[in-house]
Order: sequence, then structure tokens, then C-alpha cells
Amino acid sequence: MDKLVLLVVLPLLAAFLMPVLARSSQVLARLSGLLVLLISITLVLNVWGEVDKQAISFAIGGYQPPLGVVFYIDQLSLLFALLIPVMVLIFWPWNRPSSIQEYSLMMLLTASASGLMLSGDLFNIYVFYELLAVASYGLVSVQVRQGQHPVVAWVASLRYLLLGSVGSVMMLLGIAIIYLQTGTLNLAQLSLLAPEALNNITGLSAFVLILVGLGVKAELFPVNTWVPEVYAGVSTRLSALMAGLLSKLAVIVIVRLLVLLFPQPEALHLMTVLGMLGVISGELVAWRAKDMTRMLAFSSIGQLGLVFIAFSLPGNIGLLAGFAIALHHLVVKPALFMLAGGWSGRLEKLSGMAQSSPYHVALFVLLAMSLLGVPPLPGFWVKLLLVMNLAVQTDPVYHFALAFMLLATVLEAAYLYRVVMLFYKKENHTHASSQHSLFDWITAIALAAVLLISVVQLPSVERKLVSMAYQSGNRLLYIHTVFANIGTPEARIDRMSPTDQAKQPLVSEPSIKEKAIKEDLVLGSAEQ
Amino acid sequence: MNSLTHSLTDLSTVLVDLLFMPLIAFFVGLLMVLMMRKLSARLQRRIGPPFFQPIYDIVKLYSKSTQVSHGLIHEIGIVVAVGGYIASEILLPVPGMDGIADKGGIITLSYFLMIPSLGMALGVGQCANPNGSIGISRALTAMLAYDIPFIIVVFGVATHYQSTSLIGMIDYQQAHQWGIFEMPLLAAAGLFALQGMMGKQPFEIYVAPAEIATGPMVEMSGKFMGGLFVMQSFQFYTAGVLYTSLFLGGGNNWPEFLLKIFLVVSIPMTMAFLFPRYRTEDMVRVMWKWPVMVALIGIAFVM
Amino acid sequence: MNNLDQLFIVSLSGLAIVIIIGLFLPRQATWLAKLSPLLYVGQLLLLIKMASLVYIDAGSASEIQSSFHLHLLGEPLQWRFDALSWFFAIITVVAALFAALFMSGVWGEDYRKKTSANAYTMLHLGLLLNVNSMLLLLASGDFISLFIGWEFVSWASFFMMVLNPQKVARQAAMKYLMYAMTGAMALLAAMAYIYDISGSLQYDIVRLSMSHLSSEQIIPLVILFVVGFAIKMGVIPFHLWQAVAYAETPAPGAIFMGAISARMGLYAIIVVLFQLISMDNFAYIHIPYTFWNVQSVLAWIGALTTIIPTYIALKQNDARHLLAWHGVGQGGYMLLGLVIADNVGSAGGLLHVFNHATYQAALFMTVAAVMYRTGTSNFDKLGGLVSQMPLTFMVMVFSIIGLAGLPPMNGFVSKWMVYRSLLLDGQPLLFVAAVIGTLGTILSVYKLVHNTFLGQLRVEHQEIKEAPLTMLIPMLLLALIIFVTGVMPGLILDWIVPVQAAIGLPPLDYHLGGIILPTGGLDMIWLTLILFYGFAVGAVIFYLIGGRAKHVHQYDNYAGGHFLTAKVRYHYSHNFYAGLMHLIGGWYRGSFVRLEKAIVSLVSFLSQLAENFYRANQPTMLVVAVVVMAIWGIAVGRFG
Repeated sequence: MDKLVLLVVLPLLAAFLMPVLARSSQVLARLSGLLVLLISITLVLNVWGEVDKQAISFAIGGYQPPLGVVFYIDQLSLLFALLIPVMVLIFWPWNRPSSIQEYSLMMLLTASASGLMLSGDLFNIYVFYELLAVASYGLVSVQVRQGQHPVVAWVASLRYLLLGSVGSVMMLLGIAIIYLQTGTLNLAQLSLLAPEALNNITGLSAFVLILVGLGVKAELFPVNTWVPEVYAGVSTRLSALMAGLLSKLAVIVIVRLLVLLFPQPEALHLMTVLGMLGVISGELVAWRAKDMTRMLAFSSIGQLGLVFIAFSLPGNIGLLAGFAIALHHLVVKPALFMLAGGWSGRLEKLSGMAQSSPYHVALFVLLAMSLLGVPPLPGFWVKLLLVMNLAVQTDPVYHFALAFMLLATVLEAAYLYRVVMLFYKKENHTHASSQHSLFDWITAIALAAVLLISVVQLPSVERKLVSMAYQSGNRLLYIHTVFANIGTPEARIDRMSPTDQAKQPLVSEPSIKEKAIKEDLVLGSAEQ
Repeated sequence: MNSLTHSLTDLSTVLVDLLFMPLIAFFVGLLMVLMMRKLSARLQRRIGPPFFQPIYDIVKLYSKSTQVSHGLIHEIGIVVAVGGYIASEILLPVPGMDGIADKGGIITLSYFLMIPSLGMALGVGQCANPNGSIGISRALTAMLAYDIPFIIVVFGVATHYQSTSLIGMIDYQQAHQWGIFEMPLLAAAGLFALQGMMGKQPFEIYVAPAEIATGPMVEMSGKFMGGLFVMQSFQFYTAGVLYTSLFLGGGNNWPEFLLKIFLVVSIPMTMAFLFPRYRTEDMVRVMWKWPVMVALIGIAFVM
Repeated sequence: MNNLDQLFIVSLSGLAIVIIIGLFLPRQATWLAKLSPLLYVGQLLLLIKMASLVYIDAGSASEIQSSFHLHLLGEPLQWRFDALSWFFAIITVVAALFAALFMSGVWGEDYRKKTSANAYTMLHLGLLLNVNSMLLLLASGDFISLFIGWEFVSWASFFMMVLNPQKVARQAAMKYLMYAMTGAMALLAAMAYIYDISGSLQYDIVRLSMSHLSSEQIIPLVILFVVGFAIKMGVIPFHLWQAVAYAETPAPGAIFMGAISARMGLYAIIVVLFQLISMDNFAYIHIPYTFWNVQSVLAWIGALTTIIPTYIALKQNDARHLLAWHGVGQGGYMLLGLVIADNVGSAGGLLHVFNHATYQAALFMTVAAVMYRTGTSNFDKLGGLVSQMPLTFMVMVFSIIGLAGLPPMNGFVSKWMVYRSLLLDGQPLLFVAAVIGTLGTILSVYKLVHNTFLGQLRVEHQEIKEAPLTMLIPMLLLALIIFVTGVMPGLILDWIVPVQAAIGLPPLDYHLGGIILPTGGLDMIWLTLILFYGFAVGAVIFYLIGGRAKHVHQYDNYAGGHFLTAKVRYHYSHNFYAGLMHLIGGWYRGSFVRLEKAIVSLVSFLSQLAENFYRANQPTMLVVAVVVMAIWGIAVGRFG
């Protein structure tokens, strides 16, 4: 298990060594990056399944928590530890001649992203988040899209940088507040202290600051204004990576903090409201968008809004719905970006595209349908899950969120299918033709295949997500795992076996929901 | 055996009805046409035609040497126009003969009465004369105009008698009181609708002799016109009997019955000479305003 | 493996065959096209094998469960057939069979030549997709499978609509998509609501929890469901999308969709409002602050749906559009009849589903045949075709008599039943509304038949021949069905009475010829005999008495003393009811169109607002955001 440190260390090393190595051999340097990614993937696959029953935690360098640096691995972090190298590999800048610095930045991105997912204390999270930000600023300014004026791209990335740094400062501020309140940054320790120390207005403001800070990456309303310009300006492979993966990483961190540190309902409310605003504003603007990448960028803002709404549902159910929507978006949106790569320029220019490239258009239709939630595609099931869970909440804010989400879906259908109709327009003299690189096309097909396979494998995907949600939603499990040797009184953790978890209803029925809340209360008082 | 004789007598009754009900209707209708012409003549201080004039007219029309046909549908149109009325007569109970009035009620009858109009419309359409088509467009519009008050009246009456069967309605009236006394407002509205239904002034623009060039009859000659003449006499008869059955208690015996139906049709015929012609849209406006209003108030009393 | 499983397998394998041949064996597509009706014959045979659902004898089950089922999101998904599903399914499959018959012959050849082999395969695919998705919907056994089927049906319709590449069709399809998505989302919201109330999406559990709902709870629920389903039916105020969308699809699509597609909304309404909530409650649920109850509101929606689209149809100047608008309007009778919820009215509403399918399909076929021969369905470019296409004319006359609801065709019976139940129920205004709809229909169908087949024959149409045999056969068969089921409605009432039992309504007392009622029934066999007796007497009078008629040319006509030649267009069809329009023309205000536009403008305005946000100066926004959040935090801290 300790080997998993290599997920962070190896790419980091590669990032710094690649430019040096390149002086002696370009080929070797370039290959080394890929090699590191492949090693990472094998590493994760080796331990795949080991955390299904019991999460694992280990301290780096033997310093025990709460003082040492801790890595925490459960199904969620392991899944993302796998997804990060895989996605980076998929969206590697295959299709363009790029400098070694760019590769190096990609490796830095991989390292910091993995670190972000695995680390178990706030300070490390902050450090990795900053590294991630730096890597993405760099990539944004380097991977300028073909045909894009360099100055425009530069302005966009500057905007991103500004917003990102303000966000980072806020996050740091939030972390500082937490440290002042508790005196520790270890998540498990914090989680033990949180019910007393952070369950107040100070703790809430710390959460708000961190939320805004991380929200910059997570495309959270209102700090997401960089999104359209950057996605439109950089190469589609990078926008796919950013919209697909990076935004989810920030969301996952927020969710971790939410589960472990901030059980306040106000925190959830805030996320719901911001998510609602994100959904509606994103979809509304996408309705007006004049070119494909901007449309997808705004649509991505909307989808991330949905993710926030889902995660703001209390309890494991929220986690389940959130994971489902986030993973669905993680598959669909990059594929759409890949397709958009060959369809640059104003939407009107795409008229009659179906005549020249029918398969590309057909794939676009498929992805759009899943995004809309047309059965039996996965998009339908995740939407249904969210709808059912929003409905059973007693808090009216969730019912508003439900209404917003349904309205947004209609808008989504409007703009996606306006494009589809344009594609299938009969033009006598069409000049429209796709300029997809082979890599983009294969990537899109592969992602669509994942989508279709998950339709067939729906029950097992569902089981996996349930067990993931239950595991990551278990605060006591986290504490117990990290402090395995200490033996706190909270060791009485309900150790559900995965099979039991799968039998749990996916959607909280009112009675079960109440029971869960009661249990939480009992356990909470036991802690105190 | 008993039931067989029973059904045999049933069958023979029906056969007799089938033969005689249209026949009676035809001759009574011809008398009504005669009455109309006499009435108009007397009102205009003329003597009027002789007794057999309607018969002469029919014979003349049928035996004309120019009989212009514009095609099969033109002919079938006339057949349907006459045939539809013949069928309707068998649904209208008269003293001693019920026909098949128990197989369909007032709603069915109202729809049966639209079949002749449709037949005539198809026939005129085939003539390829736009004037005829204009006439049909006006005639159908007129139908839309007078059928709405008429149907409200039918609803009120059927609700009042708790039956859609004409036989049931007549029985009720003979047991209690005539409908006209129990539902005066509906009776008034019904009379108004009757004026349009019979195509009498002021609601006769679509068949008016003066508008012949722009009416349905523009291409009708010889026995085509004769068919329409026969149809008109059936139309008068039907209107009279229907109104009598709804409001005047039908008839116990023929003299009483005939008196009633002649009285009924004489009212629109007399009124006809008091008014100038309405344009189609004005007719619609009038029909949808006054009789509808009166009939709706009448329904409010019934319910 | 029971019959229902086999039905699904047959329909899916049909889909697979068409896709495989279309993709890989395009040369074999011609004989596929010829044999395509067989796909539906197979489905029909399986449905006939399931006929024990309606021809109930001792020991026959009231439901056939499919052995295929799923368990997802903690909810079981299942598919089954009962009498109601069977009734709608058999109409669907028969309509598809007729559309396929029509398409498999000359029409299909022509379409293939005009477009492409690929487009022709797509048309076959579209029809199959529609049928299959409808069967899936009809078989749904819980809310999730209902929603899945619902979405399938919507997207299959959309697929059919976009097969016509013309701009007007595409716009209509896009409009339909917007309406359909709105409907689907309303349905999803309704399902969410149901789930919140009853904690399940299974019919049995939902039915139990529905029985003790307060009216404050039930009204929003009914609104959501009705919005969701009524959009598909094209009920007021959601009627704008349907007519153009259906009319502009390629002819077999129009035939099939005009016949049955929109009725899926009715099916779903029946399932939810009758089977789950039970219509009996609705008469007692008053809408707050009004004199209305839910039932009367629904009835009025049905009544207005009969009137408004019918009078819009009256104004159309294209045969297909006119028919499609009537399709919308006739839906109102079905809803009206059902909502009254007595034995006569509901049977009438259901019977009208069948009747409407028969004559609407026949009418679209006649128009398609006319279009095949003349290339247009525009009234201004037609006229006088009766001499060239007499059989097509005859089919059209049969069908318009059905559509207008005159005896002796089948439309009369169902409408009679609706009127009768309104009478029994004491609903004068609804009754008048229904009659106004019928009268408008009569006017409008005469316009249809006159402007296509009557009046002067155009010079360019003088060489036209009768429609080809492959079109005539399905048309004549349908005309036969229209007549026979009109004379003997008992044949179809056999199916409807078990449906009434299945949806919890009192069954109708009927016989082969009509309906038995103590206060005046209906016997179509007698009435038809009398009618034909009348016609026979009329024919005797006309043909045996008097001089011989002389057939003249159409130019031998009264023209005010002038003479007519081929150069003179002597025909009246444009603005046919000028007098009526002079009066009611001002009532067409296009309020619903304006409402639709207003909604689009609103969205556009909001969208601009949102766009301004994303263009705004970010640092300022950030400061604003922080301030807002701080205030939020303080507020929560102080009052929370």
C-alpha cells in the first residue's frame, strides 16, 4: 500500500527531471512521461479492490498522525487515483508538436492531482491544489488553440490566473481560520474536533472561504467567469481535461471537507443555492452561445451546478447522486469537447455537417442524449436518482433546486438540438466538413464506448457507486482508519460489509432517512 | 311459435311503416308547399296557384327534355338528398306509426337531417360551378348558425323529458302537459331555429330565388331540380313533425296531428314575408345571439 | 417465454433486421421494403394470441407479465399488458400495418427515387421505432418504465418528424422537441412528487397512498401529470406543435402518427388519472376560490380542444394541415368522453380512439395518393379530381363522414355516445361545445373534399389516373373498416368493455348494433338499413322516373351568359367560408402563438442577463460575492 506514494512522487520527479533528461535525449524524456503514467495505472490496478471492505491510511515517513503527513485511501480516492493518469494519458497532447515543458507541466498536473486526492491533511491539500493551479495556468497559456489569436488566449489565461489566485488566497484564509480554531490540520483529527470547534459561525465562514477558493476550479457560481473564455481559447484536449477531470477534483475535495468537517445545514444550503444559480445561468447562456466550445463550456458550468446540488443533499445519498452525476459528466463532456475540436467557428458554419461526416454527428447526438437524460443512457439514471432524492427532502430549497434542474434540462435540449438540427440540415453546396484529428475521434469513440458499456453494466456500476458513497460518507470510518492504532472510543464503527451496503435502498425513503438522522444523532452524542 | 308470430307482425308493421311513412310525408309536404304559396299569394293580394300546382311542378321538372348532369356525384347527390329525408321520416313517429323511432333518438335524427345537406353539397360541388360552391359554403354556414340554438333546444327538451327517444317524449307530453307550456322559452328558441332550418326569410340567402345565380341550384335542371323540390317538401314536413313531437305533444289522431304540423309550418311561412334577407354572417350573428340566449335561459329553468 | 416476451422479441428483431439491411445490404432494401408489412403482421398475430385479455373467459388472466424485469435505484421495473394496453396496442400495430402496406408499394418506390435509398430505409426504421416504443410504453408496469417508454415515444416521433428535410418540417420538429421536453420534465416532477408522497414508484403502492391524499396535495399532482401527458395529446393550451409536425412528416409517418401517436398521451392519462388516482375523486376536489372542480376543468379542457383546433383547421389551406388540426381537435372528444367517467361517455371516448385511427389513416392516405398524382396538397392548386380518381374520392367521402360524425360511419357512434353521456350527465354547455366542434368539422371536411375532388378540374390534371393499386388496397380496406365498425360497433365495444373494467369504470350495456339504454339507445344496424332504404327509394325516384340525364363537359356551365374555356379558371376554393370568416375571423387572435413567443422572449431576456454576468468585471463580482456570502454567514449566525 505504501507504494501508492509513488503516484505522487514519480510524476513529480518526472516533471522536474524531464527538461534535464531532454538535454541528452528528447525521445527518452518524452517516453518517460508516458512510462510514469503507465506505472501509475498499474500501481493502482494492483491494489484495486483492496479497499472495498476497509479504507487504508498510512503515514509518510513513519510520522504518526496527527503530526505526520497522512495519505488516506478509500474507494473514492483510489478511483480518482486511477482516473487521473488515465485521463491525462487520454488527453495527452498527442495531436500537436509540443515542447518538453508542456509535458513537464502535464506531469506536474498528474502529481498534484493525485496528491490532492490522496492526502489526508489540509495543508497538503492546499499545497497540491496550488501546484495543480500552477500547472493548469501554465498549460492554459501554452496550449493555445489553433486559429486563436495569441493575445486573446493570453488575456483569458490572465483572467484565469487572477481569479485563481484570489481563490487560493481565500482558501488559505479559510484554512488559517480552521487552524486557529483547532490547532491542527490533520483531517481525521479535525473531524474529531469539528463537532465542537467548527460547528459555529467561524467554522462556517471558513467553509465559505474554502468553498469559494476551490470553487474557482470547480466552476462554482459565481467564481466561474473564467470558464468560457479559457475553454474556448485553449486546445480542446486541454479543455476536455479541465472540464472533465480538474473540476471534479476540486469538487471531491470540497465534498471530503463537507463530510468530515462541516456538517452544518447552512453549508449544504449555500452549496445548493450556488449550484442552482450555476445550473440556470450556465444553461441560459449556453442557449445563446454562438460557437460549439463556448456552448459546451457553459453547459459544463450548468452540469457542475447539478453536481453541487447533488452533493448538497444530506447523507450518503447525496454522495451517491453526486458521484453518479460527476462521473457521468466526466465521461460525456470530454467526449463532446473532442468532437467540438473539429467543429470550430460559428455554429452556422456547421450547417449540413451530417452529409460530410455522419458518424461524428451521430456520436454527438448520442452524447447529447445522454447529457439530456434520455433513457436508457446513463444520463437518465443519474438524473432520475437526483430527482428522486431531491423530491424526498423536506427542505423546500431542494424542491426549488428540482424545479431549476428540470427547467434547465428543457433549455439544454433547446440548444443541443438546435445544433443537431443544424447538422442535419440539407445543404446543396455544403462547405462544412469536420477537421477532427484521428486522436480526437478515437478518444471520443472510446469515451462513448464507456458510456454504452455502463448502460449494459448498470447494476454493477450502481453497486460500485453505492459502496463508494457509503464508504466515503462514513466519517467515523475515516477517523478510525487514520487512528487505527490509537483506539479512540469512536472505534465502534458499523462495519458494513459491501454486500450489506448494496442491499441498502439507493434512495433514501423518508423513514430510512429519519432513521439515519437519528443514528447520526446518537453517534454524535456518543462522541461528545 | 308465439314469438315467431309476434316478430312476424313486428316485421309486417315495420314494412308498412317503411312504405307509408315516406309516402304520407311526401304528400303532406306537397300540401305544405302549396300552403306556403297560397299564404304568400294571399299576403300579396294574389289568388295563388291551383291545388295541384306542386304536382304539376314536379311532373314538369321530371319530364323536361334538358336534363344536364355533370357526373355521377351530381346525380348521387340528389339521390342522397332525397333518400336522407326518406330515411329520416321513418325515424319520426306519427299517429299509429312509430317506424323505427325506438332505434335512434333525437340526437340520431338531428344527424340524419345533416345527411341530405351533405349529399346536396357533394352534388353541387361536382357541377364545377363556383356559384354553386359559394351557395354551398353559405348553406353550410347557415347550418352552423341554426344548428347551435337547435341543439341547445334539443338538449333542454331531452333533459326535461329524461329521454332521447321521440316516442318517450310524446308519451310524456300526453301523460302530463305539452312541452310548449312547460318550456315556453325553449319552444320560442326552437321556433326561431326552425325559421333558419326551413330556409325561410330572412334566413334564406343560400336558396333565395333572387340569388339563384349564386346559389346551390345554379346547375340544377329538370329532375335534379325536381329532386330538390321533393326534398323541400320533405323538409317542411320534417320540421313540422319534429317541432310538434318536441313541444306540442305529437298527435293522438291524424286530424289533430295534421292541424298541429300545418300550424307549426305556417308560422315561419308567414313570418317570412315580414323581413328582408340577411347576409350569411348577419344570420350567424342573429342566430348565435337571440335564440341561443333564450334557449340557455330556458335550459336553466329546465335543469 | 410468454406472448408478451415474444412480442418484444419480434419487434426488436424487426428493428435489427431493418438496421442491418439498411447499413450493410443496401441493395436488398427493395425487397425488404416489399416485405416490411410482415414485420407488423407478426406483431399482430402475437397480439391476437393475447386477445384473451379482452375476450375474457373463465380462467383467463387479467394481466400478462413480461418475464423481463429490472431492479434499479431501489425500484423494480416491470412490463405487463392488460386490456387497456392491448386495446391501444392493437390499434397501434394495425395502423402501422396499414402505413407499411401503403409504403411498401408504389409510394415507397417513388419516395426512394425522389430522395435516396437511405432515406427510405430511415422511414422504415422510423415507423418501426415508433411502433416499438409505443408497445414499450403500453406495457409499462410502473412509473420508471412508464417514463422510459414515454421518452422513447417522444424521441421516436421526433425521429419521424426530422425525416422531412424541409425547413417548415424541421422547425415543427424542433418546436415539438421543446414541448416534449417540457412535458417530460413535468412528468418527472410529477413522479418526484409521487415519490415524495408514497415513497415508491410502483403502481400498487402509489395507488394505496393516492387514496388518502388531501385535495391540496392532489391538485398540483394532477396539474403536473396532465401537463406532461396533455402536451403529447396536443390538448389546449399545448396544441400548437402537433398539426404542423404531423402533417409535414412523410406520408406513412403522417398516416401512422395521425392515427395513433398522440393517443399515447391519452393512454397515460387513463393510467394515472383512472387506474391510480380514480376519476371518482375528482368531482369532489374543488379548485380553490372557484366554482370548479378538477373533473369539470378537465372536461372543459377537452371541450375547448374540440373547438379551437377544429376552427383552426377550418382556416387551413393545405389538406395535410387541415387533417392534422382535426386530429388535434378530435382528441378533445376522447378526453371529454373519458372525463365524464360514466359507462357511456368513457366507452365513447375509448371507441373514438379506434374510430379516429381508422378514418384519420384513410384520410392521410387519400391525401398522399392525391399528392402522389398531382404533387401538391395545396387547396389552391387542386380541384375536380373526382372524375379522375373516383375510388380515392369514395374513400375520402367515407372517411370524412366518419370524421364529421355522421351516420352510418363509425365516428358517429363514438360521438353519439359522448353526446349521450353529456345529456345524461346534464352538461348543457359541454354538450353545446361538443356540437360546435362537430359542426365546424362538417364545414371543414366539406371544404377538404370540395377543394380537392370537386369543382373544376385543372387543365394540368386532366391526364391524371386513379391512385395505384398498392395505395388503393389499404385505403379501401380502411374504408370498409370504417363502414363495418360503424354499422356494427359491437365488434369494437367487445374490446372496450373489458378496458372499462380494467380502469375501474362501470361497463357499458351493448349489442352488436349499438348501445342499450333505458332512455333511448342506438341501433346502428337498423339505422343503416333504413338509410340505405331511403337511398334506394331516392335512386328509384331519380333514375326510373323522368327524362334521361345528359352528361355534359365541365365547361358547359352557367357563367352569366359568358362562355367557358380551358383558359378560364372557373373555381371557388380560396377563402371558402368567406361569410363565416367575415364574422369570426376577428376571433382568431393567435393568443397562444403570442404566448409562445412571449415565453421565448422571456428566456432570451434572462439569457442575456446571465450572459452579462459572465462578461462582467470579475474582481468586482468577486468582491460582491464575498460581501454577499459574509452577509449570509452573519445572517445565518444571528438568526439561524
